[in-house]
Amino acid sequence: MELLQKLTILSDSAKYDVACTSSGIDRAGRRGSMGSCSAPGICHSFASDGRCISLLKVLLTNVCVYDCSYCINRRSNDLPRAAFAPRELADLTLQFYRRNYIEGLFISSAVLQSPDYTMERMIETLRILREEYRFRGYIHAKTIPGADPGLVQKLGYLADRLSVNIELPSERSLNLLAPDKHRQAILRPMGQIAAAGAQSRQELQTYRAAPAFAPAGQSTQMIVGATPESDRQILRLTEGLYKKYSLKRVFYSAYIPVVEDTRLPALDTKPPLLREHRLYQADWLLRYYHFSAAEILTEEEPNFNPYLDPKCNWAIQHYGMFPVDVNTAPLELLLRVPGIGPRSAKRILIARRQAALDLEGLKRIGVVLKRAQYFLCCKGYGGSRQPRRETVVRALLDPMAFNAGCEQLSLFSAPQVQMLADTGLPPQIAGRMVQEEVVTRFAQKM
Amino acid sequence: MCCVFESFRRKTLPLAIWPPEQAQLTLYDCRDIPTEPAFAVRVERSLRPALGPRAEELVHLAFLSGSGEKELLLLRFLHTAFARGTAAAWDYAHPDTAPVLALERAVTEEAHLLMGFVRFQVHEGMLGAVIRPKHYALPLLRPHFCGRYPDSDFLIADLTHRVALLYRGGRAEYVEIEEGFRLPPPDAEEAEYQALWQQFYKTIGIRERYNPTVRRTHCPKRYWACMTELMDER
Repeated sequence: MELLQKLTILSDSAKYDVACTSSGIDRAGRRGSMGSCSAPGICHSFASDGRCISLLKVLLTNVCVYDCSYCINRRSNDLPRAAFAPRELADLTLQFYRRNYIEGLFISSAVLQSPDYTMERMIETLRILREEYRFRGYIHAKTIPGADPGLVQKLGYLADRLSVNIELPSERSLNLLAPDKHRQAILRPMGQIAAAGAQSRQELQTYRAAPAFAPAGQSTQMIVGATPESDRQILRLTEGLYKKYSLKRVFYSAYIPVVEDTRLPALDTKPPLLREHRLYQADWLLRYYHFSAAEILTEEEPNFNPYLDPKCNWAIQHYGMFPVDVNTAPLELLLRVPGIGPRSAKRILIARRQAALDLEGLKRIGVVLKRAQYFLCCKGYGGSRQPRRETVVRALLDPMAFNAGCEQLSLFSAPQVQMLADTGLPPQIAGRMVQEEVVTRFAQKM
Repeated sequence: MCCVFESFRRKTLPLAIWPPEQAQLTLYDCRDIPTEPAFAVRVERSLRPALGPRAEELVHLAFLSGSGEKELLLLRFLHTAFARGTAAAWDYAHPDTAPVLALERAVTEEAHLLMGFVRFQVHEGMLGAVIRPKHYALPLLRPHFCGRYPDSDFLIADLTHRVALLYRGGRAEYVEIEEGFRLPPPDAEEAEYQALWQQFYKTIGIRERYNPTVRRTHCPKRYWACMTELMDER
């Protein structure tokens, strides 16, 4: 089979994997080798769906012995199949890398023959890259569930980041849709990687040249919208994963129907992109804004508000806690103000040591006053005096949910807007109608 | 730097500063400021001791900006900074500091994007790339690419500023390039890898999630002309 054809088949099969980050490790280049890594990560291109392309994301093979019903590569699916030889993939990676197309390799695989056999072929690919070609670029490898722990260990010393996909948010869903995978087979390697990583970091502190085990940490991903879990369940699971396995990232993937199956949403179901977007926003609140999952979603409101991002939603529900004085408030409190992000919060901390901040100054720093003005006070501004609640709600609403600025129906618009538009109403008008209703309803609740 | 010196000596702030190649006719009073290396060195050397390392870095980075206003904005900042000392660079909300910080951010952000968007072609073992950045980003790309490909010779041609970064035999230098500079056409092997990459790019996008707006936000169209996978989509 020609290389072009192979690459097409094996990247097509890998495209539903979300993670394409190259972050988490700094590694300078070195004479006699090729490549380096930069901790913030580098995006090399952006695909037609707007997602970053940083790594050569391919499967080693899409021939699979498993039959997971949500997966495009399942055994029973009629699909062209292919496999890379380890050296072939290593060569391709290097050729792409020297042309600066990519930051490195994201290698994953369907299960060929057995988990162990598949892992050995992945390890061989990475060995060629690292040892023969002296490649110092980024490698993200996905471990195969059910593989021998010794092989996971080996893989970790060759890769920068490892990931084990948790696939579905609950054990029940997993049993239903992926009968060949067991939750324990997923969580055990995750625990092993966390422990090996912690040990390796400790060794590196005492001995600089100690081999590094997955120095950029581990990540995971789960499919959202294929099974009935609530957003709260998913977010709590995420928080648990960050705490227990010290994951670097949890990725979410809106389920796109790829197969006809009675246990799954129908084939014409649209991917729940807005829900996925809200999950990422909440994920950022967990990682960068000092929020806890219990603050973001409660038992009474277990799902995200489609019309407000989770931080604005929180602010409206805790309106009594504001305004925050930007000239004295600690970082955690600044981060609660809608319109202040981690970047502007840090700038505020530095700038206010030089001079007391006023509204003009905040604007220059990069605070979004359109939203922030109702939640802060500063020099010469005692806070917005009893604004109409409708005005506050209107300033916070997420325009994306109402199809703002798009003549065609956007995939990100709220379900209510999509429903109205499906009845034949122009999407922009549908958006405006829903918006008016939402403003009144939320203002009453405040 | 000589403009800075002149401005301080006369204790006046000009309305505009034009580099020699952009001189314009105007009704206002104009002054030619000839380059006087001794004055320039005096200003340059005073930056770190008088204003601190952060201000020095800020001035250097902001000066790489392609904005036509940068000279004036920098001069205003320096006037404030020499009056206030090291604090000025940290006063992010100050009307003279904030615009210079914005210049700096624009420069470093473009350089960061270019670290990903530069596309090399291989010709007889040497790597060659062409870019058209807004800002003069080569000094920021230099350590990155020299570190990444320590054993390969390469050239990055900045067509906007008509300068190329040439790395040969482990040494890097800047060379002037002429207008209309072009890379030689790709040979068979190079064309094959370009085709492979274009195919990968096409395949990796998910049709059900097609989102041109987000793509343009992250990767503005002005970069597309120099990117192998996007030049045909313009």
